Amino acid sequence: MFDSLQHLINGFGIAGTVQNLLYCLIGCIVGTIIGVLPGIGPIAGIALLIPATFGLNPTSAIIMLAGIYYGAMYGGSTTSILLNVPGETASVITCIDGYRMAQKGRAGPALAIVAIGSFVAGTLAIFGMVFLAPPLAEAALAFGPAEYFSLMVFGFIVLSNVTGKSLLKSLMMAIVGLIIGTIGLDPVTGDARFTYGSVSLLGGIEFVAVAIGLFGIGEVLVNVNQPSELLDQGVLMPRMRELYPSLQDLKRSMGAILRGTVSGFGIGLVPGPAPVIATYASYMIERRVSKHPEEFGQGAIEGVAGPESANNSACQAAFIPLFVLGIPFAPPTAILLGALLIHGVSPGPLMISQHAGLFWGVIASMYIGNLMLLILNLPLVPLFANILRIPKRILLPLVILFCFTGMFTVNNSVFDIWMMLLFGAMGFLMRKWAYEGAPLLLALVLGPRLEVAFRQSLMISHGDFGVFIHRPISMVFLLATVLFLLIPIFGIFFKKLRKGGI
Amino acid sequence: MKKDEAIVGIVIFLFGLLTTALSLGMPIGTFRMAGTGMFPLFLGILLMILSGVFVLRVFLQGKEKQARKEASIESSESPMQLILFLGTMVLATLFFSRLGYPLTSFLLVLGLLRTLGIKRWGLNILISLVTAAGSYFLFVKWLDIPMPKGWIGI
Repeated sequence: MFDSLQHLINGFGIAGTVQNLLYCLIGCIVGTIIGVLPGIGPIAGIALLIPATFGLNPTSAIIMLAGIYYGAMYGGSTTSILLNVPGETASVITCIDGYRMAQKGRAGPALAIVAIGSFVAGTLAIFGMVFLAPPLAEAALAFGPAEYFSLMVFGFIVLSNVTGKSLLKSLMMAIVGLIIGTIGLDPVTGDARFTYGSVSLLGGIEFVAVAIGLFGIGEVLVNVNQPSELLDQGVLMPRMRELYPSLQDLKRSMGAILRGTVSGFGIGLVPGPAPVIATYASYMIERRVSKHPEEFGQGAIEGVAGPESANNSACQAAFIPLFVLGIPFAPPTAILLGALLIHGVSPGPLMISQHAGLFWGVIASMYIGNLMLLILNLPLVPLFANILRIPKRILLPLVILFCFTGMFTVNNSVFDIWMMLLFGAMGFLMRKWAYEGAPLLLALVLGPRLEVAFRQSLMISHGDFGVFIHRPISMVFLLATVLFLLIPIFGIFFKKLRKGGI
Repeated sequence: MKKDEAIVGIVIFLFGLLTTALSLGMPIGTFRMAGTGMFPLFLGILLMILSGVFVLRVFLQGKEKQARKEASIESSESPMQLILFLGTMVLATLFFSRLGYPLTSFLLVLGLLRTLGIKRWGLNILISLVTAAGSYFLFVKWLDIPMPKGWIGI
């Protein structure tokens, strides 16, 4: 425990250098802007900024990209409260009470409580990370290929189960992502697969192209396809009668913040779009424990404090499986895994010892980043909200130019731009037919690892598939996977039973 | 909706079928020593099964399900605008290397603004020029990222 604290202090030394502070600040500001802009979520935002980190050392690069991630979560809440426009999906729940507060002239206290809640949650989550990550990394050393395979399958199933409306559609997208991930060199034998003589395809499909295409270009195309008048939609800033929360507000929020932090942290550790689930779970908890549940939906400050704390806490906890197991459980951390690999860092159980500076530096930077957001949030809120005044007719072409430029800079390849456009069109169609992009992206990033784990397991067991159930940890993950697959089936069964259909 | 859903399902099924067929052309190996084609072969078969179940389910669904608005976008509101927008991006990609970064970015923004209904040429050119110059100085001059120079040579 004391070792961890010592490492954390060293991490603060690394994160506190002028260069890293600057990149942390840039990440937080860019992330907030991305969060403010509806449509461009943290996934496309991080993917777009990866090329800008090529000249940096891995620690500074990940500090900046992580800053974009939690900065985006922050920015998303600002527009939810001020304009009833969630900047990203995890902020949808904040609209309910946050916007009601803004309508009553209490936007200031709502925004302040988001800042305070996020800061408290971020601080406590860091302690959670400090004490949980090292023992988890030690435990993960016992993981062999079979355990990794089962864990990844579990991750896919859970993510597919909680994203979108149809498990079947999400699973199909995960398989499509895995198939796309097989393009390029065979990770075991090195033979070319599905490349048909193309040198550009030898390295596989660039995941940044898929991320920007599906989540950036796809979203822009959805906007372009809207009726013309929506492209001119103007926004109005509500009045800010009060700027700071009262003592009563703080008293009411404190319990919600602590409960949100704990629940968010727990949810962040398991596969799925953790921040989204965490905010919903926290809102439900707060409404249940509240002495005035009737106030929820009418501007209850707990309805803002709890979900926003849970959101921040979940974001940070999601870094644990990424760093310690090398397996991202959510799309934004999948993008960060890609960034780590580009910078020559392979996360896993040995990361804490082999890249101690990066690991602890990034953790410390999250704390500093939260502090920066707390200080910057209130004075800069009007500025960030003003970005929304730019009509979409002007904003969308700028986003496209940024996508083009960002994509080209990854490999200096026009081929990647073509891929981005292809996946952009695919992303548009997927939205049209309610197919989720998250399982596809996660599968694409994890595909080669999954294949290697699968083939290595079979090699070790001499071709016996029993290896996946004979090893206890692997069996637990597979049992959990089966359980998650059966939940929707049981749900349908009980629904029919209640209706008297069976 | 039902028909469209089924068509999408069939397209995914065909993608699975194609993957399976192409995988069979690669060394499959044994379970003990899997070849290059084994993993995609499994995936192709799995995708065919899932999409097959999906298509079957779509056909078996009751009429009330048909009316459900599952899609996030219910109908194409501005298909011509979308086609022109996509076309502009395709053209920009096609001529990117030949025209160079500054000129392509200027023309790309100009074309996209025009497509989205910014009809005033003065404003259109001003925004495109400022954006192209801004991104040029940010990426090429400040971040030192090598971009195609094209025939204008900058």
